This record gives sequence, structure tokens and C-alpha cells, in this order.
Amino acid sequence: MLFIVNAILILGIASSFLTFFVLHRIVRFFPVLINYHLMLQIISAVLLILGVYLKGGYSVEKIWRDRVAELEAKIAVAEEQSKKTNEKVVIEYRDRVQVVKDTQIVVQEKIKEVEKIVDAQCTLADEAVKLHNQAAQSIKGDKK
Amino acid sequence: MKFLLIAASAVVLTGCISVPVKRNFPEAPKELMTQCPELIKLQDGTTQISEMLKVITENYGQYHECKIKSDQWIQWYNQQKKIFDSVK
Repeated sequence: MLFIVNAILILGIASSFLTFFVLHRIVRFFPVLINYHLMLQIISAVLLILGVYLKGGYSVEKIWRDRVAELEAKIAVAEEQSKKTNEKVVIEYRDRVQVVKDTQIVVQEKIKEVEKIVDAQCTLADEAVKLHNQAAQSIKGDKK
Repeated sequence: MKFLLIAASAVVLTGCISVPVKRNFPEAPKELMTQCPELIKLQDGTTQISEMLKVITENYGQYHECKIKSDQWIQWYNQQKKIFDSVK
């Protein structure tokens, strides 16, 4: 692709140079060739414009492709980092939850140890149970 | 003239390049995707303080787990945002 673009551009430059700066001096001596010379000049100009346009387009396309490749590489690194972050967050979550569960087990065991003493000193009124359950009740209407 | 306009427009439009770079939204850990459980209630007719203590302890535990989940969500979001913003 680049070869074709370069070929058109070089051909355009060379033919334009020849037809506009060299051949017109020679053609002056051969009036029969004037029409052909004009046609050649037009073709040369078209080739030159097309060559410059294609070269510019190709360069821009290349810049964008490089940029895309660069971005894709960065995204791949970011996705890897993202996975590692997930793993780290999960490990930390599990460790912290385990500490909470362990603490709960210890406290529950301690409650069992002092169960009789605590229960002997006080009885729970129905109102206390109702109040506790009211506080524990999830508030309806805030979701779902 | 019309042909020239159409041809010029076509040439100009070839300059419009769209570069598709796909980015995936980071997948959240499934451990954090679960809802916090409802608090446990006392059974009607409970008279023992120790029973109440057990339920309260259980509920405190649930709160702490839920708090950890919330903390980890914040940490997850902040770190993922930082990673997301680093790609420019």
C-alpha cells in the first residue's frame, strides 16, 4: 500500500517537474505537441495532488493506528491491574470477615460461660423483645 | 458542478476516521455483590437475657461484615477509577 502511494507521489512530482519546467521549453519548437503537453500537464497535476492526498491520508492513518496500538497495550495493562485489584480486595475482604467471625465465636462462647449468671440476675420483659425487634426491623419502602 | 460538489464532499469525508478502542467495564468481585442480610430478631416470648445477647452479638457481627463489604466497595471503586484514569 505504501509502495503504491509513494509511487504515485514520486510519479506526480517527477511528471509535474518535467511537464511544467522542462518539456514546455522543448514543446515550443513543436506546435503539434502542444495539445498533448497540456494533457500531460493536467495528468501530472492530478497525479501530484492525488499523491500528496494519499500520502497525507496514509500518514494520518498510521498515526491513528499507532495510537490505537498504544492504547490497546495500555488497556491490556490496566485490565491486568484491575484483576489484581479485585484479587487483593477479595483477599482483604475474606481476611477481615474471618476476624469478625472469629471474634463472634469467642464472644458467643463467653456468653455461654456466663449464661447462668446473667439469666439468674434478670428476666427479659416482652416489651424489651418487641423494642429490640422493632429496631431490627428493616425499613420498608426504601428499596425493592 | 454538481458532480464536482459530490466528488469534493466524498474526498473530504474520507478524512473522517473513527478509531474503535473497546474498553471493558471492570468486573466486580462476586463476594461484594451479595446483599447484606436482614438483622436477626428475638423470638416472641424470649425471657433470657443471654438469648438477647446472642442475637445482639450476631447482629453486631452482621453489621461488621456489612461495613467491611462497604469499605471494600469504596476501596475497589477508588482503585479501579485510578486504573481507568491512567489509560489516556
